[in-house]
Amino acid sequence: MKPSPDMKQDVAEILLTEEEIRAKVAELGARITADYAGGELTLVSVLKGSLPFMADLMRQIDVPLRIDLMEVSSYGGAATESSGLVRILKDLSAPIDGRDVLLVEDIIDTGLTLNYLLRYLRGKNPRSIKICALLNKPARRLVEIPIDYIGFEVPDRFVVGYGLDYGEVYRNLRFVGVLRPEAYEEPSQP
Amino acid sequence: MSEPEAPREPKPDYGFAHASEAELARILDFYQVAWEYEPQVFPILWDLEGNVLESFAPDFYLPDMDLFVEITTLQQRLVRKKNRKVRRLRALYPHVRIKLFYARDFRALMLKYGRAALVSELSGTVGQFAPGPVEETIDGSAGDLSGLESRAVPERRSRSARRRAARRAAAAYAAGSPSV
Repeated sequence: MKPSPDMKQDVAEILLTEEEIRAKVAELGARITADYAGGELTLVSVLKGSLPFMADLMRQIDVPLRIDLMEVSSYGGAATESSGLVRILKDLSAPIDGRDVLLVEDIIDTGLTLNYLLRYLRGKNPRSIKICALLNKPARRLVEIPIDYIGFEVPDRFVVGYGLDYGEVYRNLRFVGVLRPEAYEEPSQP
Repeated sequence: MSEPEAPREPKPDYGFAHASEAELARILDFYQVAWEYEPQVFPILWDLEGNVLESFAPDFYLPDMDLFVEITTLQQRLVRKKNRKVRRLRALYPHVRIKLFYARDFRALMLKYGRAALVSELSGTVGQFAPGPVEETIDGSAGDLSGLESRAVPERRSRSARRRAARRAAAAYAAGSPSV
């Protein structure tokens, strides 16, 4: 189904307003600043969903930091059929050995992607790796991974906005909302 | 690029009773998560002579997470029996970690991976590869769990038993196709 021209019409409910997100990002940034005071940090963002969160979060952290971006293939995507295995589509642009790394995620649900990324990044010998996720959906968890910084726990519903997409759409909504089932369900046959 | 170690070779002799199980196996393979299919049978009900009346073999075991996963894509109102089995398993084997993956969880997973259109053919009765063995019908409400802990020893399912249980559907996973 095509998204509505006014994307908000496809949203059943706003879970997190722009103001709530902004306040939480500031809070997370303050915690991270305190925890890494006196040190340096490398933020690693996982494309594409965590881009808005990364962009806002980095400006709330007051320690010297670098940023880097990674992208991994997703199950069901174009890369699935070619290899059947998750692949790094975009790797880090700089080494992280000996550095403190903070992996920035938009949402953690099954933990499968995060589990893969952590194994990959640990192989690059950083001094430490911590995880910061704006949203946590524990009901969907298959792989239990300790998350160091969590913005919000969200219910077991399909959420979009603030980087989160459905079919690559809705990422630019400034809030996080629940997508209407009509936006992804096939119309029932008569 | 030093990627994580490659996963195992495909296991064409791993059969699945249901298309949703094959799909979950493909997802786990994709993300390089080790899994075993129905590796253990847990007795969960005995008669007075100590004979096992009812057992439960969760679909998957994820050794790296020490987690069993049972997937059911039946409609929510039909999963009472499965819920009861999981409750008994947890009561009798408190050290065992198990996650029950419901139809709504599977549906959400498919939606997340852009495969929502496949849900109907991977779920419920339609997704069954072949009629399975008749499930026991003992109502769990009759069972008293007290005093049973000493008999609660999971069995390692024999290879032949696993193969018998799985033989019906091996081709689907080997083919790597979500179609039934």
